[in-house]
Amino acid sequence: MPEKINISLADRNTGNDSNADHYLANEQLLNLLESTNTGLWERNIVTNEAWWSPKFCELLGYDYGEIEQSYNFFINHLVHPDERELVYNAFKNHLIDASVYKVEFRMLTKHNGYCWFESSGKAWPDENGKLLKMIGAVTDIDQKKRYELELKKNQFILAETNKIANIGGWELNNDTSQVSWSQEISELDNIPSTSSVDLGKVLQFFEDDQHQLIINAVRDAAELCKPFDLELRFRPAENGPTWLRVKGIPVINDEGKCVTIRGIFQDINEIKTKELNLQASLDILSEQNKRLQNFAHIVSHNLRSHSGNLQFMVNIFEEDISVDDRQEIFNNIRSISESLATTIDHLNEIVKIQTEINKELKPVDLALVFKNTQNALDTNISDTKAIICCDFSACPVVNYIPAYLESIFLNLLTNSLKYRQPGRSPRIVCNSYIEEGRPYITFEDNGSGIDLTKHADKVFGMYKTFHQNTNAKGIGLFITRNQIESLGGTITVESTVNVGTKFTIRLV
Amino acid sequence: MTFSENIKTVCVIDDDKIYVYGLKKLISIKQLCPNLIEFENGKLAIDFLANPENQATLPDIIFLDINMPVMDGWDFMDNYVKIKPQLGKKITVYMISSSISNEDIDRAKSISDVSDYLIKPVSPNKLIELFNMAA
Repeated sequence: MPEKINISLADRNTGNDSNADHYLANEQLLNLLESTNTGLWERNIVTNEAWWSPKFCELLGYDYGEIEQSYNFFINHLVHPDERELVYNAFKNHLIDASVYKVEFRMLTKHNGYCWFESSGKAWPDENGKLLKMIGAVTDIDQKKRYELELKKNQFILAETNKIANIGGWELNNDTSQVSWSQEISELDNIPSTSSVDLGKVLQFFEDDQHQLIINAVRDAAELCKPFDLELRFRPAENGPTWLRVKGIPVINDEGKCVTIRGIFQDINEIKTKELNLQASLDILSEQNKRLQNFAHIVSHNLRSHSGNLQFMVNIFEEDISVDDRQEIFNNIRSISESLATTIDHLNEIVKIQTEINKELKPVDLALVFKNTQNALDTNISDTKAIICCDFSACPVVNYIPAYLESIFLNLLTNSLKYRQPGRSPRIVCNSYIEEGRPYITFEDNGSGIDLTKHADKVFGMYKTFHQNTNAKGIGLFITRNQIESLGGTITVESTVNVGTKFTIRLV
Repeated sequence: MTFSENIKTVCVIDDDKIYVYGLKKLISIKQLCPNLIEFENGKLAIDFLANPENQATLPDIIFLDINMPVMDGWDFMDNYVKIKPQLGKKITVYMISSSISNEDIDRAKSISDVSDYLIKPVSPNKLIELFNMAA
């Protein structure tokens, strides 16, 4: 080995550099080595002098001999600062315990900045067994390394994107009905991280009423190659999502048959919950808006009919008429004035309902209120020989505005007595019960009934009457409905003419 | 003003007693027509019109209200259209209501047998005009 590595192209063939010589001398071997795109290097462990083969120089974009021939130059100027320690330690470790020296690192090229190379080598001892020099090879792995890094980066971005979007992928094999999914899905609560599970088991992740929806979608995808996009209710785990979006696309083979269904699985709990809340608010608003519009219409219509009559009477009064006529017209004007006052009272009552919503709810004993209502109508009940039964044992007490409940019972009872079927005594049954945690009241009679095919939209309207009954005012059920709805309840009616009527009220 | 020779009988279908009184009074003051028949809902009017015994006393004009119990103005028109062919007489139908809702107005105008839709109250001059148009 030479004391000093100092070669240049000029003295390449002069033979005064033995280090270079022993490679360059065997030109055939060198050509062979260098034709594999492998650059050779040698480092003197003692002096840290180095030699870089022509190919080595070429890989870095230099001419042969242009690179300073020292290990120090290599480690300090060629190797990328980030990998300097890695390369240094790899050398050191190899010299200490002969661990494999094979490292991937960047070196500064002449024209292209830092590029990736792989370097491997081995230290050789002299005759005395002392490690003297290391010989190795360098290959250009830049392209491969960049692909690898790019892939890693994409994988990272994909994983992060999936995590941020709460998306996971799944695949269903049509032949085996086996479903497999990506890691992200396992991270959703309640889903085991098994690699492949039967479709039937996957169904169990969802609420029972969603199963048919899924089965149909999968069948259509498999048989008709139809993609699907569903928002499904998930069987919730503690703090787990309730809403999942499941999108599936059939993968079709050369014969046009769907062999696999591939899709995504996305946690849309937050957005779906917001959507549902928004829809609920919208429903309430539309309902309120409808009631307001209805009210405005009622005010306009009812006041208008009175004011119209008043105007009419005044017009006639101005005509040439007899004293008797004048007296009669005055009587009519008096009657209009009374009707006007009554209408305004009714409107006030409705306005009051809207303002009383904020009144505090109190526990109300249904049986007691019903009894009081019966007492108030005592004369009517005995006059009509009505039989009234009630059973509130299934739901005896309800949080409500007491005055509303009294008014509801009073209106329904009055109606049943008023619109009884001629020739038979009224039978009235009132019960309460609880369904899905909400209190209900049913109120049923055997009266003359309402033809709902004709009047369904008018039953609860204001001043809508259906019977040839002079004391029908058409205000009771309108107020009843307003009271019930203002507290978030509903009232529905079933009726058969000449058989009877049944009201079902959900109180809250 | 004298009775128009062509208008012998007027029919008013309305449950508003004061309005019917006013209309009756106005017709008599203005001497628009000698006979007036009144019904407080559409059902009673249809029963009358459909009865062949009443052929001789069929009205020339019908003033029809919309909101009435038992059978309202719309149902009356549905039934009227059905029995119209057996009535041996041309009858002019005016719908008169206190409703100013566009829905009602458009609906009335879409019925070809309704000659006009008027909003209550009808002024004396307008009433005369309606009689002249029907004559």
